[in-house]
Amino acid sequence: MSTSSEHDIPASGGAGLAGVAARESVAGGRRVRRFSADISAVGEPGLWALGGALALGIILIAGFLGVVAWNGVTTFWPKPIERVELRDGDVLAGVARRSGTYRVGQDVLLRLDDAQRAEIEANLGFADRTLYQTANYDLYGDDFRWVSDFEVANVTQPADFHYFERQTWGVFIGRVAGLTIDGTERAFDPALMQREQAAARQRFNEIRRLEQRDIGRINHQIERERLAQRRATLRQGEEAAAPAVAESQARIADLQAEFQVLQARVNEIRERDRRYRVQLEEVGGRTIDTELSQIVRYFAANQLSLFEKIRIYFSRWWEFVSAEPREANTQGGVLPAIFGTVAMTMLMVIFVAPFGVITALYLREYAKQGRLTSIVRISVNNLAGVPSIVYGVFGLGFFAYTMGGTIDQLFYPEALPNPTFGKGGILWASLTLALLTVPVVIVASEEALAAVPRSMREGSLACGASKWQTIRYVVLPKALPGIMTGMILAMARGAGEVAPLMLVGVVKLAPALPIDGFFPFIHLDRSFMHLGFHIFDVGFQSRNSEAGKPMVFVTTLLLLALIVAMNATAIIIRNRLKRRYATGQF
Amino acid sequence: MTTTLEFEPTAYHINRSSEGPVLEIKDFNLWYGQKQALFDNNLEIQKGMVTALIGPSGCGKSTLLRCLNRMNDLVDDLRIDGRILADGFDIYGPGVDVIALRKRMGMVFQKPNPFAMSIYDNISYPLRVDGVTRKSILDETVERALRSAALWDEAKDRLSDTALGLSGGQQQRLCIARAVASDPEVLLMDEPCSALDPIATAKIESLIADLRGQYSIVIVTHSMSQAARVSDNTAFMYLGRIIEYGATETIFTRPVKSRTNDYVTGRFG
Repeated sequence: MSTSSEHDIPASGGAGLAGVAARESVAGGRRVRRFSADISAVGEPGLWALGGALALGIILIAGFLGVVAWNGVTTFWPKPIERVELRDGDVLAGVARRSGTYRVGQDVLLRLDDAQRAEIEANLGFADRTLYQTANYDLYGDDFRWVSDFEVANVTQPADFHYFERQTWGVFIGRVAGLTIDGTERAFDPALMQREQAAARQRFNEIRRLEQRDIGRINHQIERERLAQRRATLRQGEEAAAPAVAESQARIADLQAEFQVLQARVNEIRERDRRYRVQLEEVGGRTIDTELSQIVRYFAANQLSLFEKIRIYFSRWWEFVSAEPREANTQGGVLPAIFGTVAMTMLMVIFVAPFGVITALYLREYAKQGRLTSIVRISVNNLAGVPSIVYGVFGLGFFAYTMGGTIDQLFYPEALPNPTFGKGGILWASLTLALLTVPVVIVASEEALAAVPRSMREGSLACGASKWQTIRYVVLPKALPGIMTGMILAMARGAGEVAPLMLVGVVKLAPALPIDGFFPFIHLDRSFMHLGFHIFDVGFQSRNSEAGKPMVFVTTLLLLALIVAMNATAIIIRNRLKRRYATGQF
Repeated sequence: MTTTLEFEPTAYHINRSSEGPVLEIKDFNLWYGQKQALFDNNLEIQKGMVTALIGPSGCGKSTLLRCLNRMNDLVDDLRIDGRILADGFDIYGPGVDVIALRKRMGMVFQKPNPFAMSIYDNISYPLRVDGVTRKSILDETVERALRSAALWDEAKDRLSDTALGLSGGQQQRLCIARAVASDPEVLLMDEPCSALDPIATAKIESLIADLRGQYSIVIVTHSMSQAARVSDNTAFMYLGRIIEYGATETIFTRPVKSRTNDYVTGRFG
């Protein structure tokens, strides 16, 4: 072998020298030789392709983010109300949402006069139209209306038109016809209305507080007593449990008395609330009469100063992130969904982190590397390709029905046939997502463990450390940033996943948060709301998808922001670890 | 170059230590899978002396060194035959506690491999994995180890800094300090200077000279001049066999075997 290399070295050296000489002589003289390299050798077209691919990717992502961000950011900005008079005499008032071009149908064309028809025909049969949010669902049976430009006779922005966001029935657009304060009719006075509306909202919130907190607590206690009775009967038999049941019955009676008192108070407030009313008149002259407390927010859209617009904008954002939804999720806030998303993701991380890391540790450090480990590794990698809905089906069948059903029979027999854990819930949802994301964590952790230099392990073993000590003190700390990267990827994947959740615990509207003031405070059996599902529900499942459309963008923006925030936290932690275990140079 | 192997016995003419051998390698063979890497190795490591293993790349000198503290256990598909005696006990015998064995054999590797911990934690690591938690003992050990590795003056003010911030030469001395922290009998060095510059190399070499007598040192080296400078005895290995094992000055001036002569004079390798 060494003989052949001895031959090679002078041979190639000679060729090189000869090449240099030849090049110089050619430059001087007879034959013209190209001195530029061949284009395929330089790889210039390849470079263009690479750059182009990158540019395309950036454009796609930036475009997507731009659409989401722009629509999300502008949704809550108050827009003017337009009063539109149509040529056929009809009048409508609304907020212009968007406009577009459409092909005018034959039946419509026939009804138009010649000038209009000529104009449309000159436009190749197309016309422009605008979508107005006319609101007043209770009167019109619809929230939106397309208005073609050729129909419009006149557009004005009347100063006395208000935009009312109501607790139920959605938005009302119209004028204030009159006020009823404490039973007496009064003329519309902006200052009076503002004062009384604020007072009415206070009453509304008080009723809500009484109902949800105080009456909710009593209901909860009564339910507990009832379950305790059933448990005692189930365990000890009817007769043996009789004294305990009687005692509990007495406690229920006390609670019910307390309930009556509270209920009376609620009724009293509600009675008073009914005496403060407002009469609203829509553009066509029809009026509705509603309690002032029904109006969440109102403003004269055409008279707003910039400052007032900013105030409304932020007040809407604040409601969005801090309140519960109303109007079939198309209005109000998404606080329960934010809470559900964060709580579920955190739970998922708690489940997936130890499970994934331990699996990777065994696979990389302890298992004998051979055919079996290869098969396991390939299978784990391929798990990432299983459709997520399949995980949902598995989660429902195995976690909720099998495991949850067993837990119910063993620990919650008194509540049956109502399931406690035997249905979708936040625990099962996070376990399902943990299962879904565990391949990512395993693969990343394995890579990170494999990247720990052999020399470090050997150094530790040579010091007389056992294998476990080596892993515990040297390998794991060094691999931790890489493992964290896996966790970050898993978190991003899990937080944005919707399909499996629909089967294992996400609901359109959760009656209670998974964490509250009642023992044991964390209720892992409860179903929950999720921003991802909220997007799907508002955008595609609500009675009026047009009304939900802006909320889709805002919710998407919020979900993205939430995931970015969670990931940023994880990245900061990882970088801190990285700095601590930074590799030295020499 | 001829590749036929004449099965001549190893030529012996070593300096003997007054205390006798600390390690005895007897008829040691080793296979990686089907491939035999060591053939009938016989070697006595003299107590308190520096023994150098030299030879061309792939001759098995690192493999032999790694057998002395059973570092090769990590390699799959490894098979051995023969004995290595430490104080009369076969380290490959049944029921040997490998962890206890490694504590008696400090090891320094080719590339400095400090752990991603502070200097203090690095050096106290062998004690801590042993279950020592008394701060006074750890403090004392760290100072003693750093002093014997000639690193105390440079490191005493930054004991809690990460060891990865040290220079390459300092890192290697730190690894030596770590190896001597558990007070081993033998110090195994696997080309300890191959990743270092000449100045750092000189420091390590003078350190070896200082440690001589205190520990029995086995050093694998590529550099013949280094072997000549630091060692008492030198074993020349070729293709898995120990060709000649003798006093260093003899090996480098009047070797018995012609192949040793070819190698030390730079005719091949």
